[in-house]
Amino acid sequence: MFALQGVSKSFGPVQVLKPTTVEFRTGESTVLIGPSGCGKSTLLRLLVGLVDADGGTIQFEGTPITKANIMQMRQRMGYVIQDGGLFPHLTARENVSLLASHLGWEKQRMDQRVEELADLTRLPRLALDRYPTQMSGGQRQRVGIMRALMLDPSVLLLDEPMGALDPLVRFDLQEDLRKIFRTLAKTAIMVTHDMGEAAFFGDRVMMFGEGEIVQEGRLEDLIQHPSNEYVSRFINAQRLPGVQS
Amino acid sequence: MKKLLHLVFSLFLLSVCVLRPAFAEPPKISVGSKAFTESVVLGELICHLAREQGAKVEHRAELGGTQFLWQAMAAGKIDVYVDYTGTIREELLAEVIKSGVEIRSEADMREALAKMHVRMSDRLGFNNTYALGMRDATAEKLGIKTINDLRNHPDLKFAFSDEFMERKDGWRPLAEKYKLPQKKVRTMDHNLAYRGLEHDAIQLTDLYTTDAEIEFYKLRTLEDDQGYFPTYYAVMLMRDDLQEHAPEIVKSILRLENLIEPHEMVSMTAKVRLDREMESNVAAGFLNDKLQLDIPLKSTSKSAEWMRILGRLAKTTYEHLFLVLISLSLAIVVAVPLGIVSARNENIGNTVLGVVGVIQTLPSMALLVFMIPLFGLGALPAIAALFFYSLLPIVRNTYTGLTQIPIAIRESALVIGLDRAARLRLVELPLALPSILGGIKTSAVINVGTATIGALIGAGGYGSPILTGIRLSSISLILQGAIPAAVLAIVVQFGFGWIERRFVSPGLRTS
Repeated sequence: MFALQGVSKSFGPVQVLKPTTVEFRTGESTVLIGPSGCGKSTLLRLLVGLVDADGGTIQFEGTPITKANIMQMRQRMGYVIQDGGLFPHLTARENVSLLASHLGWEKQRMDQRVEELADLTRLPRLALDRYPTQMSGGQRQRVGIMRALMLDPSVLLLDEPMGALDPLVRFDLQEDLRKIFRTLAKTAIMVTHDMGEAAFFGDRVMMFGEGEIVQEGRLEDLIQHPSNEYVSRFINAQRLPGVQS
Repeated sequence: MKKLLHLVFSLFLLSVCVLRPAFAEPPKISVGSKAFTESVVLGELICHLAREQGAKVEHRAELGGTQFLWQAMAAGKIDVYVDYTGTIREELLAEVIKSGVEIRSEADMREALAKMHVRMSDRLGFNNTYALGMRDATAEKLGIKTINDLRNHPDLKFAFSDEFMERKDGWRPLAEKYKLPQKKVRTMDHNLAYRGLEHDAIQLTDLYTTDAEIEFYKLRTLEDDQGYFPTYYAVMLMRDDLQEHAPEIVKSILRLENLIEPHEMVSMTAKVRLDREMESNVAAGFLNDKLQLDIPLKSTSKSAEWMRILGRLAKTTYEHLFLVLISLSLAIVVAVPLGIVSARNENIGNTVLGVVGVIQTLPSMALLVFMIPLFGLGALPAIAALFFYSLLPIVRNTYTGLTQIPIAIRESALVIGLDRAARLRLVELPLALPSILGGIKTSAVINVGTATIGALIGAGGYGSPILTGIRLSSISLILQGAIPAAVLAIVVQFGFGWIERRFVSPGLRTS
């Protein structure tokens, strides 16, 4: 799906991502975990082209990403951010169908797809015609996920999607999101700093520290065989509800 | 056969209709006047005499000053107006004199003007020079008879018309010549200055020797004991091509030469200013008496007066809306794209915002004068000036509206795969719309107010009754311009409220 070859990124004097070579395989869900400022979000933003790499190449489905083709490629990626990043002037339905409508989908096809996604994400149909300010945080996030899924992308990228939610809502959404992942069997890459979430979603977990991948593997491996002091400290610092290992 | 006759007859009728205007097109003439009563009355005199010869006459009344008229005449927007020999020497021929040409007599003046394609008539008869005036009672109490006497009273407050303050034969050289010590000197509209004298807010102002108010307010004109003020004989200035276009009209209006005695001018002005008669009727009455003409007077009955008020309201409303709508629409078409470009590129943005900001600081009068050589007189230069004034709020608010969109929203638009144009159209502009509309509303309200100065260059609108009202000290006339202008501003406010409810997404409303 994604293949990175020696990709690095600096902001000013700070190298937030050291030259990194890594592959994200089709059908696998990967969780990028680590403390704030460790480079995990930057990696995700590099994948959708929100930041440009200083060096190295990124391939998406076998094709190197360039300035010229990024716009086309983005339409095959679904990207979800904290609080949904919804357009405040559009209703939930309009938010979800904005790109489809721009690409000239027929209304019937759009409505059908929107309702399908509302069922999938368990968004009440009534909420479809509300504006973001009229929705709860959980609903906004569900709409954000619907929007990312609208064009049936081949990969789903999620940047701390539960970050702004209170624990109960968060729990519900986590359950639903996992179901969605299972149902769609999509490639997914999710950024979080929450071990619980990592355990919940990740087939594969990548632990980041100071701009590089410190350890990767199944979460159980990380817990049982931390590769160094940093990893065990990060893991022990967090409670791990719902981890069955 | 009958059909053929029909055809021939029809063709004949048609040709008559088509060709008639070429034969009988009445000559057109445009008369100018300055924004004081004597000038307007003199303008009306010319209009009547031209109309008598069947001309189609347009009176561009109450234009903002000598420069406005002179520029307008050079641009062919007016054909003739009355000016004064002193003004011609000091204002219009200043450059010529500076270049070394000696202007001693009126014949010299006539020759210099002819080189500028302007014909100067003989004197109309009276000398309307500047003088300094005080209330008679005050002058008596302080024992002031001559300008020289003012030296002993340094605490007196003076107020002069803008033109007198700036003129080369105005206040400053006068103070120098007479060594006057007064420091409390300010600029005030001529008509307001009379009020000031009446209430002792000021003690001295500049007058014209033919002002009707000298009698009315019981003023004393101080003797110019050092012979400072030049003579100001009224003469007509006309474009020299008028003689070719309309010789019989030139002949007719030249009947004003040596026709008007000083006391007759004072009396005509007094009838307008103090008895509230219409300039056109006063002028017609004078000509009917002096030249045994038979110019019909306009009705002065109450109902006719009401009809005139309503007619004026309709006309000024139309003119005002015309100025505002055209200039505002143009400003929107230009300013919104400028705002978009500014938001996209920081360097361009700084330059654009800087330039439109500087335009905003130009005094509106100055901007109007700049527009005259480019656009002549009337609505066009006013629209151009209003257009420039309307730019800043719209550009700035478009810029602000776009740059204040949260980064997360802008990135969302980017990552869902919208191209640049689609992001602007579908996301950024709708989000900036409340701000953009706010800018347009600000521009519209400012525009409604500023458009009143368009009257100074003959653009009409609510400014014309205000201008005339100030000239005639008529509160009623001032209100006929001021109230509709205020109402229009309020209507604009409400109108934008409606537009916002209609076009701004409910998702962006704060309530």
